[in-house]
Amino acid sequence: MIGRMLSVELLKIRRKLLWLLAALGPIGVIGLQAVNYGLRYDYLMKLHADDPWGGLLLQAGSLMLPALFIGLALVASMSAGIEHQAGAWKQLLALPVTRLQVFAGKVLLSLLLLLASCTLLLLLTLGMGLLLGFEPQVPWADIVSQSYLPYLAALPFIALQSWLSIVMANQALPLTVGTLGMVFSMFSVLMPQWMPWSWPDRAVRSADALQAAGSGLALGVLVLLIGYAHFARKDVS
Amino acid sequence: MKMMRQASGSWLLETKGLTKKLGGKAVVRDVDLRIGEGDIYGFLGPNGAGKTTTIRMLLGLAKPTRGGVTVFGKSLAANRMDILRHVGSLVEYPSYYGHLTGTENLEVIRRLLDVPKERIAEALSIVRLEKDARRAVKGYSLGMKQRLGIAAALLGNPRLLILDEPTNGLDPAGIQEMRELIKSLPGQRGVTILLSSHLLSEVELMATKVGIISSGSLIYQDSIASLKARTAGRIRFAVSEPEAAWQRLLELGFEAERDQSRLTVGGAADRTVAYIVAELVRRGHSVYRVEEERSSLESVFLEMTGTGGSL
Repeated sequence: MIGRMLSVELLKIRRKLLWLLAALGPIGVIGLQAVNYGLRYDYLMKLHADDPWGGLLLQAGSLMLPALFIGLALVASMSAGIEHQAGAWKQLLALPVTRLQVFAGKVLLSLLLLLASCTLLLLLTLGMGLLLGFEPQVPWADIVSQSYLPYLAALPFIALQSWLSIVMANQALPLTVGTLGMVFSMFSVLMPQWMPWSWPDRAVRSADALQAAGSGLALGVLVLLIGYAHFARKDVS
Repeated sequence: MKMMRQASGSWLLETKGLTKKLGGKAVVRDVDLRIGEGDIYGFLGPNGAGKTTTIRMLLGLAKPTRGGVTVFGKSLAANRMDILRHVGSLVEYPSYYGHLTGTENLEVIRRLLDVPKERIAEALSIVRLEKDARRAVKGYSLGMKQRLGIAAALLGNPRLLILDEPTNGLDPAGIQEMRELIKSLPGQRGVTILLSSHLLSEVELMATKVGIISSGSLIYQDSIASLKARTAGRIRFAVSEPEAAWQRLLELGFEAERDQSRLTVGGAADRTVAYIVAELVRRGHSVYRVEEERSSLESVFLEMTGTGGSL
């Protein structure tokens, strides 16, 4: 059944440019890195002489986080917005599907699109490193973990934005919350470790990256459960 | 199909004490709907009387504060999925994904209902949208969107069709078309229909049974024929010297009402009318017009809903 929900969600985003939006994030991040390396190649190569791959990941990581924060808010808003725009919640929920399936379908769509973003980022980072002629020994573990651990650490925000965007017809508030979250996350180095806004940053390349990703996963599931409980009780207009 | 068999004498859809409070105020109060198999049930009421709120509760979109809904002999609260599989609905305005084509819109619903692909072509042909099925729905006229909504409601071959204000916003031709479509459904497909409207004239042309809701309470529920019977035989006389004529009618024991130059008498049989005319003429009154009150069904409705002339 959940496969069917997802197939329906994918059908609904035909011609909606959501895939383009999902691709735009990583293209922007790596595009700016291309400019960065183009303008000051010698300086950057000297700076990271002993570890050029690590240098690229460091540079890309600093741009990736704000893109992830704003991207997840936009994707969540657009995927729920399709239903709001169509006035389709009442039609959808009067069909023999459970509220859990409907809620899960929307969240899965956002998760899938963002997973595609992260994967594209991985491929583009890899491509750029190889193009710049970095040593052929690719640091797979670092690239993979930098591409996907922040995604897991950001799960509480994906859950929160999905919840808000689904239950509110007016997307102004969810998008404001998402934008503020992005701004807030930029000060993550100043935050105590328990604050979720610091987790995606810590998941990029700190010693406790796995712990940050694990915390994100746990809190994300909790927020999803709360969001679902709210959605399940809500009257549909 | 076996699950849909109902015990004889029971209703296809029944509500008991259905109540919905919003912010402490009861917008629907103790509503007992009773809809039989094959009925076209006209659910009438002024705007804001609680029609849509009631319908939302029938579909499980809103939870009743009190009371329950039974459909196909089963409680909706406990068997929502089973019941909704056999219910088609169109609530308030049609839902449509404007960027998708007509066919794609129906495909979304088809996948969720898990019915065969052929149903899409069938539903499109019932509402005669085959030719426009490959166009994006945002380019459809309102009437076409409404028909697509009906096609979506019919997709699962429902036993019960719930249509909230299906002719809202349509032009006269569209209304006519929708009316013919709705009337043809029970005969052709064995569907029971619940149809809401704020226009009595609309429901009168389609329904076999009516329920009238006003300020959240169901104030009338019976066949359309009995509603019409309540209104029969009000005769209006336009006469000269109406004051004197009115006095004379009252003296003769008629419960006549006077509105300027017009006198109205209720429950008058042909012989009574002839007698009144003869009496008035004998008294030297000129009788200009004798009319049966045509809009009386509407006035009974207005009287019952207490909304005066402002629907």
